[in-house]
Amino acid sequence: MEKKKVGIVTADERDEIQKLFRRHSGLADLAKIVTADNDELYEKVVNDLGDTNTRFQDWWNKKGEKYNWESAENGRWQINFDTCEIYLVIQ
Amino acid sequence: MRKTITFIVTKDCQLACKYCYLIGKNNKERMSWDVAKQAIDYILSHEDDFQDEGIIWDFIGGEPFLEIDLIDKICDYLKEQMFTRNHHWFNDYMFSFTTNGLNYQSEKLQKYIAKNIDHLSITITIDGTERKHDLNRIYKGSGKGSYKDVVKNIPLWLKQFPTVGTKITISREDIPYIKESVMHVYGLGITDVHINCVFEDVFKDGDDLLFEEQVEALADEIIDNGYYKDHVCSFFDESIGKPLDPVKRNNNWCGAGRMLSIDAAGNFYPCTRFAQYSLRDKKAWIIGNVNDGIDRNKLRPFLLLDRCTQSPQKCIDCEVASGCAWCQGENYDAAEIPTLYQRATAICKMHKAQVRANNYYWNKLYRKLELEGLREEFEENRPVSNQEIC
Amino acid sequence: MLQYLIILLDDTSTSYCHYSPSQSQHQLIALADLKAGIRFAMKENLMIQYVYPACDLPQEYKETIETIDHSKIIPSNSPMVEEADVVVFNNWKDAVGFSFDESATYVLRICKEDLFAQKEVIGTFISKVARLNIVLIDVETFTENDFSRYKSVLDSFGKETEKLYKAGMSPQLNVITDRIALSQMNNCNAGSNNITLAPDGRFYICPAFYYSAEDKETFCVGDLQSGLAIKAAKLYKLAYAPLCRICDAYQCKRCVWINRKMTFDITTPSHEQCVLAHLERNTSRRVLESVRKEKEFYPEQDIKEIDYLDPFDVRIDWHKI
Repeated sequence: MEKKKVGIVTADERDEIQKLFRRHSGLADLAKIVTADNDELYEKVVNDLGDTNTRFQDWWNKKGEKYNWESAENGRWQINFDTCEIYLVIQ
Repeated sequence: MRKTITFIVTKDCQLACKYCYLIGKNNKERMSWDVAKQAIDYILSHEDDFQDEGIIWDFIGGEPFLEIDLIDKICDYLKEQMFTRNHHWFNDYMFSFTTNGLNYQSEKLQKYIAKNIDHLSITITIDGTERKHDLNRIYKGSGKGSYKDVVKNIPLWLKQFPTVGTKITISREDIPYIKESVMHVYGLGITDVHINCVFEDVFKDGDDLLFEEQVEALADEIIDNGYYKDHVCSFFDESIGKPLDPVKRNNNWCGAGRMLSIDAAGNFYPCTRFAQYSLRDKKAWIIGNVNDGIDRNKLRPFLLLDRCTQSPQKCIDCEVASGCAWCQGENYDAAEIPTLYQRATAICKMHKAQVRANNYYWNKLYRKLELEGLREEFEENRPVSNQEIC
Repeated sequence: MLQYLIILLDDTSTSYCHYSPSQSQHQLIALADLKAGIRFAMKENLMIQYVYPACDLPQEYKETIETIDHSKIIPSNSPMVEEADVVVFNNWKDAVGFSFDESATYVLRICKEDLFAQKEVIGTFISKVARLNIVLIDVETFTENDFSRYKSVLDSFGKETEKLYKAGMSPQLNVITDRIALSQMNNCNAGSNNITLAPDGRFYICPAFYYSAEDKETFCVGDLQSGLAIKAAKLYKLAYAPLCRICDAYQCKRCVWINRKMTFDITTPSHEQCVLAHLERNTSRRVLESVRKEKEFYPEQDIKEIDYLDPFDVRIDWHKI
């Protein structure tokens, strides 16, 4: 695995993605305990997961476009929430 | 900023640590599900009163994991309720535990960890070498040391939480073992050690010099063996030991009053240290309960605290004031009258000794790094603590 | 610096303040303790304020009392009321029809409901006395609605004092006229400026603590044999009251007993105490401005317009700095 710093985002931008990341993580843990027999809640969680995933991906697409970060075929971007730095991780 | 809300789920513990400030531990006061649920419902239905960005749901005892079934139920309910109420804390929450580590490998606890691992902060207290750990951390009744039963759980804990730290507490009897204990903990694979002297008035004349000797020896060990590159010990921090401007640096040390603790009776406290089982000489500072909510008047003294108003003149004038900590609960307990505004200074000499050893550490380290041409590299990559400390 | 020694002559001595005595059985201070208290005051240069019960006193007590310069606080139903420097009404009804001395000071201890209901009656007392101190005995029960009602009472008293000022008189009503005259804090200062000698021969921060079952021992600060020993003495001073020291409701009593009761800490006032004091302060400001429209009136005084009623709401939050 290769990891290389390719850019940096603003603190506000970091906050946006961090919030989505944490929401996704919360939804994933909630999904572990919500059973399908609780129809209403189950559906709400599943929909929210889908929505959060979409917003998460949108953020990367928009920021990737805005900053024109280096990319690679087998790579993905990663953010360090403490420093706001963006890394390209190649598998 | 995250708020910390603590459930005192039990006042029972397998151990009877000699330095434990929880003097009123017992096996009768266990939180019921009804009380826990009422507390959660109250807190989550008063979102306007709890506007902190995130939340640390903290569980304390006694030994919190003695109540793993209740904790599991509370956490599931919290997740579900934060989500269904569309509470802003759903986007930023953690479950936090400080444990003696004895039950760590139990099936129930491991199942709980697996279910919540991305939202967990678990600190196992390991006090150093076997002789240092067992000096204080002994079993209730038998008086047998608990080191062996804890240390066997450390590898699994570190596998699950590789970046965690531990907390070492120094009472009078522990002073001769400081160096070996920190090094031992590093040897176990724990890279982040928060260590502090107890705030209670236990230290005697000469203890400070012995303490200084130990911390200085620890400094040598850390520097000479290169641990400074990737290990952290809270004794050594460049911000410690400077004078503090009485106007610009007047903030309170402690977060009591900005936190909330709930006990088995459903009473609210500004911090666990203000519950009756933590207090030697004073009455509990109850700020409300799950039925009536929070009495804001009882919080006002906490939210008005600043450093200088509660400090004696010697602390305000102190040339090495920075990093000198205090515990609001201990201040209250030790005060001549029931007040938050009389700072206890029992650790004064110990702080000054720490400052001298800390100064020694940084002078020695920087000289070494400069001679080796590595100071800049160190500055850029210096390790930082992950621990949120009280 | 201590200036006053308050001596409770009996367990049933009247309250002249927010607290209500819990004792109903007469128990005079021992004559020897009274004499020792007087000697203590003489040596410490303290002015004595005697607080009387409703009953008569034995002759030897009366004679002893007169052995030092002092003032007398006496309930309106005492047979000795004519000797009073300060007369205390424990019920507004006792003041109705009372033969006021226009050169004397009167304390009216009253609950909020009576004050709200009887504001017209009470307003008529202002012009009949040298000074009227209105003391609320249920500060801790005030609600937001009660604050509005209290403001309306103050407005009513404000109009009365304004009328008297404009007529060239000098009315004194603690909750309105004190702030107009003050340029710095003038609080009760129990524990720093005055101390209480109780019938048990011991010193207390103030009479309220003597009658407090819970806090009596904690706030007992010595006795006649071993002397005065005020624990954490500096905390009774204004400089150690984090909110009060930056406040300009100078007429506020800053009652450490109510502080202890409502916030648990003697240094910190409750929301209720702060709001009441600020409603009074703001009424004082309005009266000052109104009288000034007609004549020169306290030209050096400047009570600023503020947009809060509880200074806690505009405190420095060190945590956020």
